[in-house]
Amino acid sequence: MFKKIQEWFDERIGLTELINEFNGERIPARGGWAYTFGSLLAFLFIIQVVTGMFLLFYYVPYFPMARNSTYFLKHHVLMGNILLGIHLWGAFTMIFILLVHMSRVYFSGSYKKPREMQWVAGMVLFSVVVILGLTGYMLVGNENSWWTINVLDNVASHVPFIGGFIRILVKGGTETSVLTMQHIFAIHVWLLPIVVIMFIPIHIFLVRKTGEQGMALEYKNSKLSDDDINKWKHPDATVPFFPDQLFKDMIVALGVFAVIYFLAVYYGAAIGPMYRPLALNFAPEADWYFLANEELLKYFPGHGLIIFSTFLVPVLGFAILFALPFIDRGHERSPFKRPAATVLGILFLLLLVYLTLIGGEPKAPATV
Amino acid sequence: MTKSSEDSPSRRTFMTVIIGLISAVIGVAVAIPILGTILSPLFKKRDIVWAELGKIDDLKKIEPLTPKFVPVYFRVKEGWTINTLPRQVIVVKDITGKLYFFSNQCTHLGCPLHWIPARQKFLCPCHGGMFNVLGKVVGGPPPRPLFQWVHKLNNGTVLIQNKFMDNPKDRGV
Ligand code: HEM
Ligand code: FES
Repeated sequence: MFKKIQEWFDERIGLTELINEFNGERIPARGGWAYTFGSLLAFLFIIQVVTGMFLLFYYVPYFPMARNSTYFLKHHVLMGNILLGIHLWGAFTMIFILLVHMSRVYFSGSYKKPREMQWVAGMVLFSVVVILGLTGYMLVGNENSWWTINVLDNVASHVPFIGGFIRILVKGGTETSVLTMQHIFAIHVWLLPIVVIMFIPIHIFLVRKTGEQGMALEYKNSKLSDDDINKWKHPDATVPFFPDQLFKDMIVALGVFAVIYFLAVYYGAAIGPMYRPLALNFAPEADWYFLANEELLKYFPGHGLIIFSTFLVPVLGFAILFALPFIDRGHERSPFKRPAATVLGILFLLLLVYLTLIGGEPKAPATV
Repeated sequence: MTKSSEDSPSRRTFMTVIIGLISAVIGVAVAIPILGTILSPLFKKRDIVWAELGKIDDLKKIEPLTPKFVPVYFRVKEGWTINTLPRQVIVVKDITGKLYFFSNQCTHLGCPLHWIPARQKFLCPCHGGMFNVLGKVVGGPPPRPLFQWVHKLNNGTVLIQNKFMDNPKDRGV
């Protein structure tokens, strides 16, 4: 029976061949676990889309109602707390795994010629996923959402020359209003997901087009010199994507998903108080992945310097990261053979952790 | 019968140009209204209204150099709705008896300020900005003194506008 159906399709569109081509991709054999993070991200993204779609059955993007509809979903919809929890912890996990995936690509030098475009497509995904996280935070419609919208709008207003316009455009008006929420909503549920849905296949297509590259340890037996671009095309040993690599991918996916599920059930998603513009002792907090940036805003005091923390430093940092493959053009891949890049990378990660930790400290006593 | 592109290179060029042109025309035609909807907020004027704060005689009775937080409610048109925007006005009387009407939004990035009586300062919970009771920056990243609401006196009642004084970039609110 099954065979018959397969034949029916094969006769017309050559389905088996198509599947075999996708599944048969040769993956370098030694670093298998390190290569699971990309698939994990794709998996997590699918989870976000599926859970998000059903959050929409209840969510209302209108400022006073948004928070209450989320509250209703959590407390009065059967297992709504789990659905919301998966969406929240899935988002957190995705941002964390993005950093892991980027680190693995960075330290193994996998972004080097001919894989520059993979990195660039990856950076697009990175930016979009972070903005998805931020807009999601705003959509809850609680007190933190309100202040996050206002603070980030004000950050945007410091862009040289066009800052004021940007501020109005992202707000959808001059006040933080119903239009602001509707804009953020459209961006979060439709515009940015579409960008991700377009860029994941582009990213994976590019990765496969140049061949899965893997890390330097895949090339121990190679006689070619590191400068020879051909060296990086022929790893010592490869395995087929299906089932060898997918097997590992699925084990990691299950492990991570189990953690997300646990967090969703036991911690759920905190909804927080309704927004009260008149509150006198409220201390807005950013989501954890934004704390490093938040910390940056504390430095550079005064009128002339504010541009550094709101614009120059973040934009410059981002631009360097974006253009990394074009800046670091050495041929060495092994982290041990390019100590400068490795040390810089480790320092950067440490700085990120440090800023995040101190960014989370309370900055002023709420009340004394 | 028309020639195929394989018969003549110029035919091929012609077709390529037409394909490109058609794509461009359709693309631009769709992009124009999309740009319109995105840029539309730039062409809308902010709804500026007055709201009552309180009687000047009552406000004058507050302790000097002790801020009093007084809520004010603006009825403002936002998009297709009219909403009440509650905002805080910090009323401060200096030693000469002059009244100031500050906003409680930090001039750095707009977080809500806390008054800390023990230190006689406004502290910002976001990045540690500090202001003294008369709105001067005394620490942290804020680039300018506290915003003051545009206000006027009308028959003994203080009216506040949803607009800050000397705020050319229209930040805050
Ligand atoms: C939603 C986000 C992302 C998804 C779904 C994704 C997916 C993948 C997948 C499936 C692979 C192949 C296997 C692996 O090594 O994991 C891969 C490789 C790669 N990714 Fe990503 N990725 C994402 C984000 C990023 C980001 C943010 C960057 C860097 C800025 C990046 C850079 C790369 C590069 C350069 C490779 C090639 C590695 C090699 O050939 O060895 N990716 N990605
Ligand atoms: S918003 Fe007050 S110090 Fe940054």
